[in-house]
Amino acid sequence: MGRQRRRVDRAAGAGSGTLPEAIAALSRALPCGPSPETFRRAKFDRPEAAPALWQLLFRVLSPVSEAGATAPPAPEAQARLVKAALRSEGYPRPALAQLPEDGSRGSRELLLALSWLLARRPLLERLLARTRVRLGDEVAVCECEDLAFGRANTGLPALGLGSELHVDIRHVQWLMGKLRFQWRNLVSTQQEQCALLSKIHLYTWGCHSDQSLGHLSATETEVLRDPEGSQQLLQVLEQENAHLAATVEWRRRELVFWQWMDTVLDTCPQQAPDAGSQPVFLPKIPDHRAGQWELVAGEMQALEEELRAAAEPRRAAWEAQVRGQSRDPAWSSALRALQETVGQELAALRWAWDQGRDPAQPHGLYRLVRSEPGAPAGRGLQAAEVIGALRSKEACLEAALRQLQGQCRRELARLMGALPGFVWISSPVR
Amino acid sequence: MLPADCSRRLVAELRGALDACAERQRQLERSLRVSRRLLRAWEPAATPAAEPTLGPEAKGEHLSPACTPSSQDLKELELLTQALEKAARVRKGISKAGGDKAPVPKSGSTVTPVTTTPSHLQAPGQADGRVSETSPPRGICQTKAPTKGHPERRLLSSEDRISWGRGARATRPGPGLRDQQTAPPAAQQAPEAFTLKEKGEQPRSEALNNGFPDRTLLQLPMAFRKAASQNSRLWAQISSTQTSDSADATTTAKTQFLQKMQTASGPHGPGLSAAEVEAELGRLQEACSLLRLRMEEEVAAAPVDWKQELRCLFTLEGLQALAGQCLCRLQELRAAVAEQQLGPWPVGGSRSTLSPCGAGADPARGPRLLLYSSTQELQTLVALRLQVAMLTQQIHLEKVLMAELLPLVHTQGRWGPRELSLCRAVHSLLCDAGERFPTVLQDEPTG
Repeated sequence: MGRQRRRVDRAAGAGSGTLPEAIAALSRALPCGPSPETFRRAKFDRPEAAPALWQLLFRVLSPVSEAGATAPPAPEAQARLVKAALRSEGYPRPALAQLPEDGSRGSRELLLALSWLLARRPLLERLLARTRVRLGDEVAVCECEDLAFGRANTGLPALGLGSELHVDIRHVQWLMGKLRFQWRNLVSTQQEQCALLSKIHLYTWGCHSDQSLGHLSATETEVLRDPEGSQQLLQVLEQENAHLAATVEWRRRELVFWQWMDTVLDTCPQQAPDAGSQPVFLPKIPDHRAGQWELVAGEMQALEEELRAAAEPRRAAWEAQVRGQSRDPAWSSALRALQETVGQELAALRWAWDQGRDPAQPHGLYRLVRSEPGAPAGRGLQAAEVIGALRSKEACLEAALRQLQGQCRRELARLMGALPGFVWISSPVR
Repeated sequence: MLPADCSRRLVAELRGALDACAERQRQLERSLRVSRRLLRAWEPAATPAAEPTLGPEAKGEHLSPACTPSSQDLKELELLTQALEKAARVRKGISKAGGDKAPVPKSGSTVTPVTTTPSHLQAPGQADGRVSETSPPRGICQTKAPTKGHPERRLLSSEDRISWGRGARATRPGPGLRDQQTAPPAAQQAPEAFTLKEKGEQPRSEALNNGFPDRTLLQLPMAFRKAASQNSRLWAQISSTQTSDSADATTTAKTQFLQKMQTASGPHGPGLSAAEVEAELGRLQEACSLLRLRMEEEVAAAPVDWKQELRCLFTLEGLQALAGQCLCRLQELRAAVAEQQLGPWPVGGSRSTLSPCGAGADPARGPRLLLYSSTQELQTLVALRLQVAMLTQQIHLEKVLMAELLPLVHTQGRWGPRELSLCRAVHSLLCDAGERFPTVLQDEPTG
C-alpha cells in the first residue's frame, strides 16, 4: 500500500506529501468526516471503509432538520435515502443503485459519489453556510425561506386522514378561518419582537467592539447576560472556525486530490454499457408534486385557450378589413417593423421568467443594524429600499389575487344567473 | 359533503399551510422569549422584578460578580440611610417607626429585608407615584458611589421599600417627606435616573463625558470577540477564494473528472436533477402569470387606430405561441421525470445543501447588513415581508380551491337547498376568502 501511494504521489507531480495533506484537510472540513485512512481504503474498495462513507453521504444529503437530529436512522434507511437523493441529483453511475443497503460494500463507489458532489458545486461551503452560527438578528430579504416553509410541510403524506374521508365544506371554511387568525397572530407577535429588538439595539449602543455595527444583537446580549450558558455557543463557533480553516486549506490543495480521483476512476472495472433497467425501485411515496404539475398544466392550457379566443376574432376582423385595402410596399414594411417590435417585447417577457431570479436583487439573510438615517451608503442595504421593493411586490400579488377572485365571481354569477327561480345577490366587491 | 379525494387534497393543502404558519410562530416565540428576558432585570437571585421601572436600568447596571463596592461606599450608604430614617421618624413622630431599624445591613443579609417587604408592595396604584420618589434616594447614592454593584442596588431598593412601607403604614406623611427630599437632589439626579435608556437617546459624546464606566462593563467576553472576528475573517477568505477560481487548473481538473464520470457510466445520458426540475416548474409557473398579466393588458386596451389594432393582434398571437411552447416544455419535463424515475425529494423540501439560496451561499457581496433607522421602519419592513408571504400562500390556496371546488359546482344535478348552500360557501371561499357571503333569494312567482 505504501509503495502504491508513493507511485500515486509521483504521478501527482505536485510534490510528495501533498495528497495526504489534501485528504486530511478534506476530512477535517467535512462534518463527521471520515479519517484519511478511510479515503485510501476506499480507493481499493475495502469493505471496512463503507459504513463511514454511507454515514457521511447521509449527513451531507439529508435536509437541515435531519442533519441535526440526535438519533440517526438505521443504516438501511440511511443507505436508501442516500441512493434516492443521489438519483434525484442526477448521479450518472448505475453501480450505486446496485449496492447492498446493509452498508457492507461499495466504498469505492461512495468515494466517487462524494467526489462527484464535491466537483459539481461548492459543497463544503454550502454545508457550512447551512449550519452557520448567526450572531446577529437576521432578517430574510428574499422569499426563498417562504418556499422552504411551505415545502417542508407539503412533502409529508397526509396522515391521520384515514377515518375522515369525507369532509363538509364547513370544515374547509373553518380551516381557512383558522389560517387567517393564525396569520394575524403571527403579525402581532412579529411586531412585538421588532419593538423589543429595537430597544435592545438602542440600549446597547456603543458596546460592540466592531465599530461598523455599533450595537449588540439579541444573541450577543444573551451572551452577556448568561456567560455560562453561552459556553456552548462559543464552542460551536470555534468548531465552525476549525471547519472553515480546513476548507480554506482544502481549496489550496485540492488539485492533487482531483488528479488522484482520476486514478480511482480508472481502477473501476468498466461497466457494461447497458446494465439493464434500474433494478432498485423505491417504495412509492405519494408525489405531492403530481398535483402541482396538474395545476400548472391546467393553467397553461386555460391560458392558451383564452389567448386563442381573444386572438381569433381580432384576426378575422383584421383580415376582413385588410381585404379591401391595397398592398403597397410601404405598408408591408411598416407591418414587418411592427412585427419586429412586438417580437422584441415578447422576447424580453420570456427572458423575464427564463432568467429566474434577478441576480442584482438582495437575497438571503441580512443582519439588522440600527443606524442614523443619514448614514453613508455602501455600508449595507437600506431598509427604505427594501420597503419600496416589498410594497411593489405586494401590489403585484394583490392584483393577481383580485384577478383570480374576480374570475371566480364572474363564473359563479354566470352559473347562478342561469338558474330559474332564484335571485343571486353577490357579496359586494371590496 | 365533498367527495373523498377532493376532501383529502383540500384538507392536506390547508393543514400544510396551517403547519407552516405554526412553524413560523414557534420560531418567533422562541426569539421573543429571549428578547423579553433580556429586557427584564437580569439577575435571577436579586431583587424581584416587581418594579418595572428598574428593568432597563437593571440591564445597564449589571456588573460581573467580581466587582464589589468598597466598604467605604457601604459605610457612606449606611450613614445616609440612617439619616433618612431619622428624618422620617422625626417627621412622623411615630414611636413604632423607630423600632425596625436594621436599616441597611451588610450586603450578605440584604436579601432578608427585601423578601419581607413584598407585602408592602400591595398598592400598585402607588407604583407610578413611586417612580419619582424612588429616584432621588437612588440618585443620591449614585453620585456617592460611582461603581455600582449589585449588593448596592439591593441596598438601595430595600431601603426604598422599607421607607415606603413605613410611609404606607403611616398614611401619607410619606409622600410629603419625599417631596421635600426630591427638591434638592432633583436637579442633579434627573439625568441619572434611567441610565441605560437615556444613554441610548443621548448622543454618545455626552454619555461618555458623564464618566459612567457602564460601557466598558457591557463588553462581550474576550474569547467570544476573538472567535467572532476570526469567524468573519475566515468567511471573507472563503468567499474571496470562491470568486477568484474561475478558470484555473483546479476547475479544469474538476470538469474533466465530471465528464469522465459521465462517459464511464454508459449512455444513460445526463440526468436531470430534481432540483433543476423544480426550478423549471417554478419558472413555468412564473411564465404563466406573466403571460396572463400581459394578456389582460392587451385585452383591456382599446385600440385607437389600425396600427394599435395590429400590434394588439400580433401580441396576442405571440403570447399564444409562447404559451404553446411552455406547454410543450412542461410535457417534456414530465416525461423526463417519469422516465428517470426522479422521485420527489425523499424527506420533504429542497432545503438541503444543494439548493443555492443557503443563506450566505454567496457571501461575496460584502457585509450583509440591513440598516434601519427607527422602530417604525423595522416594523413596517417586517410586516410587509409577512404580507408578501401571506399573499403568496393565499394565491396558491385560491388556485387549489378553484381547481377543486369549481368543477363540483358545475356538476350539480338538481338545485335543492343543500346545493345552494354549497354554492354560497364556495362563492364566499373563492371570491372573498371566506369573509363575506352572497345571498340567494327564492323567487316565488306571484299570483
